[in-house]
Amino acid sequence: MRGIDLSLRQGEVFGFLGPNGAGKTTTVRMLCTLLPPTAGSARVAGIDVVADDAEVRRRIGVALQEIGLDPTQSGRELLELQCGLYGITGSDAQARATELLELLGLTDAADRRTKTYSGGMKRRLDLASALVHKPEVLFLDEPTTGLDPASRVTVWEEVRRINATGTTIFLTTQYLEEADALCGRLAIIDAGEIVAAGTPEQLKAEIGNDVVSVVLDGADPDSVSKAIGELPGLERVAAEPDVIHLYLDDGAGSIAEIVRRLDGGAVKVGAISVARPSLDDVFLEATGRRLEGADGDGEEEAGE
Amino acid sequence: MSDIALLGRRAVREIWRFPEATIPALFIPLFFLAVNVGQISKTFPSSTPFLEGQGYVAFQLPVSLMLAVSTATSGLALVTEIDNGYFDKLLVAPIRRSSIIFGRFVADFVRGIGASALVLAAGFAFGVHVEAGVIGAILLIVLSALWGTAYAGFAMLVALHTRNVQATNTSFLIFFPLLFLTPNIVPFDRLTPVMEALARANPVSYVIEGIRSLVIQGWDPDKLGACLLVTVLTGLLLTWLSVRAIKNYDR
Repeated sequence: MRGIDLSLRQGEVFGFLGPNGAGKTTTVRMLCTLLPPTAGSARVAGIDVVADDAEVRRRIGVALQEIGLDPTQSGRELLELQCGLYGITGSDAQARATELLELLGLTDAADRRTKTYSGGMKRRLDLASALVHKPEVLFLDEPTTGLDPASRVTVWEEVRRINATGTTIFLTTQYLEEADALCGRLAIIDAGEIVAAGTPEQLKAEIGNDVVSVVLDGADPDSVSKAIGELPGLERVAAEPDVIHLYLDDGAGSIAEIVRRLDGGAVKVGAISVARPSLDDVFLEATGRRLEGADGDGEEEAGE
Repeated sequence: MSDIALLGRRAVREIWRFPEATIPALFIPLFFLAVNVGQISKTFPSSTPFLEGQGYVAFQLPVSLMLAVSTATSGLALVTEIDNGYFDKLLVAPIRRSSIIFGRFVADFVRGIGASALVLAAGFAFGVHVEAGVIGAILLIVLSALWGTAYAGFAMLVALHTRNVQATNTSFLIFFPLLFLTPNIVPFDRLTPVMEALARANPVSYVIEGIRSLVIQGWDPDKLGACLLVTVLTGLLLTWLSVRAIKNYDR
């Protein structure tokens, strides 16, 4: 980390977006008291993570990127043990475990050992184990990495439901769609530094209204740029190996003019499309490159 | 219920659910017992003075007991949890980190009781009788299990420092020189001077001698005291080092 400054509001879902190796997990491990910061300070739920790490641990729930389950225990046993570690014992622990299993759709598998669970089920159980003590702040470190789209949507629904109960959620992700769907505010981290922060709408609005993407389809990028020239309302141009993005005030209204100019310059290109700026465009603007895994393709470890 | 009891109960449950971790560790001491007795018992018949009328199997029994209880099982369980991420889950729970170590010790003690009872039963099948009687036999089992618990700290220490399954697994091998630089075949006074000096400097010798005294001589307070002292000191040292390692883990 190269010195980051973050502040979360109580009850919000805050997204921490960045590529692999950007520093997301390191940040989460410091905030969860697993890793001491070498400099600076951090407070979680108002408590200093170094001075009173035990109190921080009482107030937080954590689901780390690597799903932390004991394969020799059943889902129910794991949750009851987790309850015990947070001081919830006896019939209270049994009731809480049953409630969470029901809530996360794991009742049928409750008495099976967790090593038989699919990737999606393991992730849901891991999430449940982070919730046994109704934490004030929940840290979710890439909670949907490696999940199939259906399981991902299930986790999203859970995140929304947990947040609706008043739990503040700090969510790291490398998926733009996830950050867009879940987070009220977010920060984009790259190489240990925060490069952009705000609400998804604010961040997108900062880079323009519309994006017109011109697929080069073998055309020379310089020839395309030269042919299009200066358009009314053009804020900036971003080039990728196969695509040129034009950030415009009025994308739809500019399409005809762009086509006319390309025809006039005798430049043949592929598809031309108009879209609202995405968080990927925000990331491109902030870092000069696309976010790896932005499409959010994942894979399921085993069928449910 | 305390954190240690909760984590201990979980670790004990693992013994039944993951017998692959325990059964091979039982096969080796029983194999050694059978082979050593088969090869050497004619050399040392029951008329040999240091056997005091018993068969050679009585002399070898404590060696097999040591081999049965001195395992790297808890270290392997710990490093596996470091590897699969469950260890982090325990670290972010509001518990003392040391309770993760002590919870493992509960299972080591239970496993030690079971393993030493089985090896003793094998000894009975080979004709051993415990000179110190039933109470002595129970004490023999308890002392063996205590040693196994004390020694378990070593593999956990390796697990916490290396975070490597293979390194933790091979840490078990260090027990072989400790086991064989002892009066394991013959008593101290029949060893060569160099081997006797090494054996007398090896704390494991006194654990074997204490347990052996219950089988062959009956109640020998000096040998039992030395056995208990070595076990407690070994346990305190390895536990202190393991607890320090887990407290400083990633810090």
